[in-house]
Amino acid sequence: MKEIALDVAVEPPKEFESLFLPLPKEYVEDVYRKDEFLILVGPQHPGSGHMRLIVRVRGDVIQEVIPDPGYVHRAIEKLAENRLYVQNIPLVERPAIMDSANLNLGYVRAIEEAMDIEVPERAKYLRTILAELCRIGTHLYDAAILAVFLGHTTGFMYPFGIRELICESLVKMTGARFTSSFIIPGGVRRDVEKATLDWVYWATFAIEKRLKSFERIFIRNPTVIARLKDVGVLSKREAIEFGVVGPFLRASGVEYDVRKVEPYEAYDRVDWEIVVADEGDSYSRFLVRVNEVAQSLRIIRQCIAEIPEGRVISDQICEDNDIRGEFLDRLADLVLPSGEYTTLTEAARGSVVYTIVSDGESNVPYRFRIVTPGWLYLRGFMESLRGERLADLQAIYGSFGYFPPEADR
Amino acid sequence: MKAEFKAKKLEILKMHIDVIREAFKQAFAPDRVTVEYPRERKKFPPNFRGLIFCEREKCISCFRCAHICPANAIQIYFHDKAWPGIDYTKCIFCHFCVDSCPTGALRATKIHDVAFATMDEMKLRATQTTKPPEVFREDSVTVDYSVDERGWSLVRVKERDELVVEAPPPRLKRRVSYCADPESCLGCRLCVEYCPSDAISVDRKANKLRILEEKCTGCGICVRNCPMKVLELREVR
Amino acid sequence: MNMLEFAMQVFRANMMDIPLINPIVEELMSVPWLNLVVALILWRPFFAVVVMPGLVVIMLYLLYIIWFERKLTARIQWRVGPLEVFRPLRGAIQALADGLRYFFQESIVHREAHRPYFVQLPILAFIPVLLPIALIPAGNVVGIKTPYAIPLFIALLSLIPITIIAIGWASNSRFAFIGSVREALMYVAYEIPFIIAAISMIYLYGSADPYVAVEKQTIPGALLNPVACLVFLISMLMATSRLPFEIPEADQEIAFGPFVEYSGMLFGLVMVLAYEKLYLMSLLFTILFLAGWSGPQLAVLGDINAPLWLVVKTLIVISILSIVRSMYARYRIDQALRFGFSWILAFSIIALAIGVVLGYEGGI
Repeated sequence: MKEIALDVAVEPPKEFESLFLPLPKEYVEDVYRKDEFLILVGPQHPGSGHMRLIVRVRGDVIQEVIPDPGYVHRAIEKLAENRLYVQNIPLVERPAIMDSANLNLGYVRAIEEAMDIEVPERAKYLRTILAELCRIGTHLYDAAILAVFLGHTTGFMYPFGIRELICESLVKMTGARFTSSFIIPGGVRRDVEKATLDWVYWATFAIEKRLKSFERIFIRNPTVIARLKDVGVLSKREAIEFGVVGPFLRASGVEYDVRKVEPYEAYDRVDWEIVVADEGDSYSRFLVRVNEVAQSLRIIRQCIAEIPEGRVISDQICEDNDIRGEFLDRLADLVLPSGEYTTLTEAARGSVVYTIVSDGESNVPYRFRIVTPGWLYLRGFMESLRGERLADLQAIYGSFGYFPPEADR
Repeated sequence: MKAEFKAKKLEILKMHIDVIREAFKQAFAPDRVTVEYPRERKKFPPNFRGLIFCEREKCISCFRCAHICPANAIQIYFHDKAWPGIDYTKCIFCHFCVDSCPTGALRATKIHDVAFATMDEMKLRATQTTKPPEVFREDSVTVDYSVDERGWSLVRVKERDELVVEAPPPRLKRRVSYCADPESCLGCRLCVEYCPSDAISVDRKANKLRILEEKCTGCGICVRNCPMKVLELREVR
Repeated sequence: MNMLEFAMQVFRANMMDIPLINPIVEELMSVPWLNLVVALILWRPFFAVVVMPGLVVIMLYLLYIIWFERKLTARIQWRVGPLEVFRPLRGAIQALADGLRYFFQESIVHREAHRPYFVQLPILAFIPVLLPIALIPAGNVVGIKTPYAIPLFIALLSLIPITIIAIGWASNSRFAFIGSVREALMYVAYEIPFIIAAISMIYLYGSADPYVAVEKQTIPGALLNPVACLVFLISMLMATSRLPFEIPEADQEIAFGPFVEYSGMLFGLVMVLAYEKLYLMSLLFTILFLAGWSGPQLAVLGDINAPLWLVVKTLIVISILSIVRSMYARYRIDQALRFGFSWILAFSIIALAIGVVLGYEGGI
């Protein structure tokens, strides 16, 4: 059969002229000429978070995906330049509200490094407990979103039910269900009673018991394994090249966890292991996070058993053990010495980078920079979608746990 | 540790049977954890961050709460003293204001489910934040979570949970302002202008400041605004 | 004689005999115009098609199944389900509230849609869905009595996916197009094993007549040919787009597939299509595998015994099948096609072999 090529001027349909697409017109025409298809999995779609994905498919196979992030950008870095250092604490917690303690911790550690504040031991253990509780909460939330993207509504309800125990632990310890703003420069805001810590201790056992039901009905469900196995594979070299962070890097075989490489708070005093997987497909990314939940429960139990008595806030900030009544007097007029201070913290989805640049005179930051893990692994996420089927878009999205409010800040 | 999964063909059948067994077990003996609000209500611990309530007599009009609020939600209303009014369209319930109040006048309640008819009503004036809010309750049962090694279960008690809790005793005793370094005082008399209770006056003969301890409420406005920072607060002996 | 007397004669010749309400019927038959209406309702073909197991039962079944499925799913998921609509009944008439809401919602027809098809197809789709009810017998209550009811039933059922594909095409939207293609592929995947499983039961009973099939089931067909029963059940899940094969209507991937542009009453109509198809296939399942309308008969209920047993058994089958929805995730389209053409086809051929062997020499 002889093939003849005719150069026909292709007109994309009118719907694409009325939409605002961040794509050059030549790209759209090229897609139509090559007989491929552009699908907008947009912000208002039951299967994308709050981010627009422009998917180019040929038949059922994805050729490439162009993300259009920024739908939920809230200008946190700019807002932080107009608020006192201590008033920024509720602001930086809010990109990922389930993960609020980890984001809170990174920012406060940057301030403490700048002002050279020594944090007492009991405060370090309390901060570790809060950080691990938030990590478990985030992993459960991501597992639930993965389940709903696969159509498994029971797998969606179970982690949210278990997360209720995490929120209850946070309420008993701090007073608020997630964004507690509990970690302040020098320590934590209140002391926690022994009865509360005992409740959290037994809550970890209750969480493990309920997780067994979840394991039977979702994690070891043959349909789920069939959807997730060998889908969206990122090899070790690719993961490092594209800058993937966190549990998704560990699922491709790289043993890197900030809590082991540069330990902070009480992580070098408790006994736990990094979870690594070899295959780098969606199922191993999911399994890494499930096993990290078990490791976090182990850390919490050890912290509660070994927590020392003592102060909860440094004596450089406050003479008594309690900052109630003196919050503004002690913390509102912090002025950081001039310079640039950076910390690296392991949030639930990866490493989060905080940088504060201070000019030495003002009580507001001169420049504040936060890079969340979602933004860091976005490239790896897009690259892993090439060559997969259209239905795998949601499976890979859920396995990465991409959270647009965190990535867009 | 390695996270991996290997299954042979026969194990897949066993996994199917596990799934079916779990679903049937839940269908007959569910592990339900629903709190049927509003007929039941969940019990909150005493440090729960709910609506904020200001006690009139304890407030010394120091404006610290309005200063620290990250969301700029507190505005001070002037009657004979000055009291805070809270704008609940902006409040994020971080309770920095409660932590900043030196006399413990601002405190948290356990009320969290409020409803306003219009947006304008959400900006509460000082006359509204200083009265205990009126709560319409439909619940008759209080639910609490109980955890042990057997798991998580709900405990239902047929009583009502008190929503406005007892105030914790204030940590700080009453403080008054004093001049710590009279030598460095400029004599600019800004403190005299700022004092809301007229407790500072100038002794023209001695050219010194005189602070009347009976009138001073310890609000600290003079302390924050002194250009030479010579004023401090100390507890009344 | 005129038309009315002719009609009366036809009706009286084939009326249902229910001893429980016979006295009331006798009373009403003496009233001049009312006796025509009563005779029409109790005329056997009309009763089968309109009342039981026909349209009235379908409407009540819809109310029941939506409520039951939501409550069962909620129970498995550690929650309560619909509760507030009518609290003494714990939310049982939630489906009625939803249906009334659809009446008041605006049915938007978007600019790019092919307007006549878009609006009329949901109604036309009811023709292949409701027509097979005329063929299903229950005792001596039947619409059209024919010895070829089962193959006719299957042939009419296989028209339904064509209407769904047409609905997707009429919507003229990318996601609807993908949904239509997936529906076409699923149609190819399940139809052949489904037909082979039904044919294996026809071989087993030696006849395509549902009366013969029910009479010969002293042991239920599910125990005679369990492989065919399994294949039929899985084909039912694939045909009615229930999890784990909810592929044409994947809510998270293609935003509800062919039905993405529908709202208001049109949406209500397309929503019930899948449920009604499930009802029909369960009716066939009951007749072929669960001994149809046989069961202990109460003398006082007379003719209505058989339809009652048929409907009750069908509802039990559907209720148990609702639990699959909360257990499994959704397969991908190529996995479902592979599954349909390898495992299920193999099982259906085994079922055919069993049917032929057991039904040798004219059925058991």
